Amino acid sequence: MTAIEFGKSEPRVPTLTQRVLSVWYRHYRVYFKNFFANATPAVLEPLFFQFAIGFGIGRYLEKEFNGLPYAEFMAPGILGMTALYTASFEATHATYVRMQYQKTYDAMLSTPLTRRDIFMGEILWCATKGLMYAAIVGVVLALFGTISSPFGLLIPVAGFFTALAFAGLSFWVTSVVKNINQFQYYFTAFLTPLVYVSGLMFPVQELPWGLDWIAYVLPMFHVVETFRLIVSGPAHTSVEWVWACPLILVVTSVLLGAWGVRCMERRIK
Amino acid sequence: MSAPAITGNAVVKQFGETRAVDGVSLRIERGICYALLGPNGAGKSTLSKVIGGRIPADGGNVDVLGLDPWRQQVEVKSRLGVVLQDDAFDEELDVIGNLEIYGVFYWLRGSAFHEKVRALLKFMELDGRERMNIQELSGGMRRRLMIARALLNDPRVLLLDEPTTGLDPQVRHTIWAALRKLKAQGLTILLTTHYMEEAAQLAERVGILHKGKLIAEDSPQNLIEKHVPRWVLEFDAIGRADALQAIRALPRLSAAEQHGDRAFVYDNDHDRLAELVTMHKLDTHVRRASLEDVFLKLTGRSLNE
Repeated sequence: MTAIEFGKSEPRVPTLTQRVLSVWYRHYRVYFKNFFANATPAVLEPLFFQFAIGFGIGRYLEKEFNGLPYAEFMAPGILGMTALYTASFEATHATYVRMQYQKTYDAMLSTPLTRRDIFMGEILWCATKGLMYAAIVGVVLALFGTISSPFGLLIPVAGFFTALAFAGLSFWVTSVVKNINQFQYYFTAFLTPLVYVSGLMFPVQELPWGLDWIAYVLPMFHVVETFRLIVSGPAHTSVEWVWACPLILVVTSVLLGAWGVRCMERRIK
Repeated sequence: MSAPAITGNAVVKQFGETRAVDGVSLRIERGICYALLGPNGAGKSTLSKVIGGRIPADGGNVDVLGLDPWRQQVEVKSRLGVVLQDDAFDEELDVIGNLEIYGVFYWLRGSAFHEKVRALLKFMELDGRERMNIQELSGGMRRRLMIARALLNDPRVLLLDEPTTGLDPQVRHTIWAALRKLKAQGLTILLTTHYMEEAAQLAERVGILHKGKLIAEDSPQNLIEKHVPRWVLEFDAIGRADALQAIRALPRLSAAEQHGDRAFVYDNDHDRLAELVTMHKLDTHVRRASLEDVFLKLTGRSLNE
């Protein structure tokens, strides 16, 4: 006979905060099991971009962009892009695999976790990854001298909110796709052009036929401007009303995040 | 007598046009094993999910340990242990890592928790496997680990979905022995299965679900006595179609049926059936009627779906 006793202890009912954090903790544990394999591509890709185009092609550009050499002009957008792709991948492919193939959410739903707890934890994790990767890429960029403002220390915060916004949007996509291949449309037809028209590679005023208005209503422009503000300072941003951009980013990310969580709650059977 | 562990009153669950659960009422006393039997698609898993607070009922009401399993799902699920059909583990982590993460979902940590983990692994005969990777575990070990995982929070009610399907007899008996020990300590077990032997081995009460309705409910012994004659003669219905035809023509026989390629002849008189064996030179013998015969009779051909 075993010494173990069953049905005797008081049941433990975890609080909302504990439940959300427990989901975050699960991802943290699984992720850090293979930290280098997981982080290397996500960090190297934006850095290649910065080195090849920012430093590489930038050397041949005599013109100043917003009063800065091209490599420095490009750096803030690279930070925004890092957080955007990190969160978007995590909230699409990775989430879909957990949902359909690994049955992670099925197992979680057998515990005290509710659907909302699970996706609040998920989105918190996505935002955390945005924070981490933006910070790592930020350190590398600082070493190469492209970060001139002490407010650059806020890069992780901006990375967090950027990731929150795009994780929310990506959750919506994940809640409507019929299979994993359909994410291609979202990445190729939406995210890639979004990055290019949002002032990452050239100031939005350069867009033809007054199309800069499109950039202003899309979330990524405000991300890039926010990073520009903290990395290079207000003298080198693209618009006068740049101070509104961090505010717009925070509000948008909270709204998109809440909406994405709701979409996924309904998606899970 | 204390309040039942689980009660359901006219429970309905609808998926689009189909009623997966169609007005089921049941009452499961504390400390017993209740087996829900039914063919594939009968609504067993759906009913189990409603009871487990996974999905809301569309009609009727459900009570688990005095709580509403959907509206109070956090409280209810804190008191439940669930073993699903698919074993969802974090393949990147080892045995201990998986249990630690699952424990955190209940906010269970620290040295007392680790002691509990060790005791549970021993209880499920998995001691010494702590550092094994999930991929290294055999099917039987994975299933035992799932049961250990479901016991981490010291549940009052255990929901098991096909716990021994696809396992070899040794593992099956290990699991059955563990479940009996749990029952002896007062746990209530709701067992969803279409494996009759399992229900007969473990359950005090059996409910048979068919097309979303509970069509019979009793102890295994009573179900057999109530629904089928005492003795069965089973033989190859295709190879011995001649015998089946001849037997069907006989008067005063309780029943002769065909399910798939097997013929089943039922009677309360053992000797009458034994005579048929000799008369038709059947390559078989007369056996006692079992839960499986009740199941076949009540749910008919839909078993073969």
